[in-house]
Amino acid sequence: MSEQPLKIMVIDDENIVGKRLKPALEKTGDIVETFVDGETALARFEQEPFDIVVTDIRMEKIDGIEILEQILAKSGRTKVIIITGYATVEIAREALSKGAFDFIAKPFKPADLRVIIERATKELRS
Amino acid sequence: MTILEKLKKISHKEPRIRHFCIQTIRFKKFLENARALLDLFDDGHEKVLGEYIFDRHYVVSLIDGVVERLGMMVYDACVLVPKSGEGLYVTYDKHKLTAGNLIGGTPGSLASAPSASDDPEYQLLSDVLQWFNGKHAPDDTTVMGFMKQIFFSVIQFDAIGGIESMDVMKTRALFENSGVAATDMGIYLVDLWKDAQALPEERRSINDFNSIPLKHLLMDVSGKEAKTGSENIQNGVAWVAAVSEYQLSLNSLKPDFQFRLETLASGYEHSDFIFIFADKSAILDKILPAGFHIESTDYGQFAWYLDMSAKNIEDSLMIIGRNLLS
Repeated sequence: MSEQPLKIMVIDDENIVGKRLKPALEKTGDIVETFVDGETALARFEQEPFDIVVTDIRMEKIDGIEILEQILAKSGRTKVIIITGYATVEIAREALSKGAFDFIAKPFKPADLRVIIERATKELRS
Repeated sequence: MTILEKLKKISHKEPRIRHFCIQTIRFKKFLENARALLDLFDDGHEKVLGEYIFDRHYVVSLIDGVVERLGMMVYDACVLVPKSGEGLYVTYDKHKLTAGNLIGGTPGSLASAPSASDDPEYQLLSDVLQWFNGKHAPDDTTVMGFMKQIFFSVIQFDAIGGIESMDVMKTRALFENSGVAATDMGIYLVDLWKDAQALPEERRSINDFNSIPLKHLLMDVSGKEAKTGSENIQNGVAWVAAVSEYQLSLNSLKPDFQFRLETLASGYEHSDFIFIFADKSAILDKILPAGFHIESTDYGQFAWYLDMSAKNIEDSLMIIGRNLLS
């Protein structure tokens, strides 16, 4: 029996990231929704939880750390992957200590993110 | 000895040898900045071709990095050849303006830079690469073209560390009077750090120098040292080598053969390199082993090899030494 597709949420205030990631991640049959701000993304998460959330760390209004905290408070099983910018290793470390599954630094290849998602999927399905 | 006492000591010694050492070290910084610029270009190129996810911040920081490194190269060039400063800074200001226009303008404004994507970030990166080294862009508008101009300014007027390249007799006299002629080869040997502070009290042999790249360079020459030495001494010393433990700067003193080799052999692959400038008559194919990037220009030939493993740099220097000095 084939497994259920993953529900993946991508949040980045740079439109290009979601635009490029969505088709790349959908190739494996997963369902991907993209958002350019944290508020809309969290509102959507209230309606329906996602298996994996991929979020940029630096965004206006609600940043990646706050999204991480709110998502994990609502759904402990969701895996949150942080996208870091440049010279934000310290913040990435903070994110990991707060329960992020992993982080990936920009610029990155979709295939590199896919590797992290596959690890997260194994944990989700184990 | 305190730093103040060291500086005081330095200031009382032969100023021209000290000047030579300082200029040689500065030239190395100049090459490091040039190399960093090439790395930035490679990084951008990789991102645009390699299906990377990046945003505008990446491109803007790439542009900022290029402007910063270019400025450092211009500064180094001005220290090496002060009279080149005004002209270089005028061109540098134009490049800063181009960079500002790229950041603040509409991506795709460099019409000859088609991008595989309609996304503004990818078009902007394509524009940046066009500015850097566009095939169809006039040479005097690209960063690479400006880098060549800076190199020419430095190389033409500063062939050996601030000493006018045409003034061969004065150069020979300087090194001869400083007592830096090696006892066992027809070569002047300058210790970049020690000789800047105090000139040698007695003549030294090659073995007195703990320089890894110098040892590599002479590895296959030592068996012929008597021949090389006596021939060169009869015709006048032909080379000056300025060295430290990991650095070698080798310059020809022959008036009809301009050749400069700079190398770093520290054992760290990512930082080790060989850079060569030679006049147009030099047949580099017969001097250099395979793997060098060679660019011929109206002024002379540039050759470089970056990211060299310890084995690679050892083999390359050995071959170059054999071809040049035997």
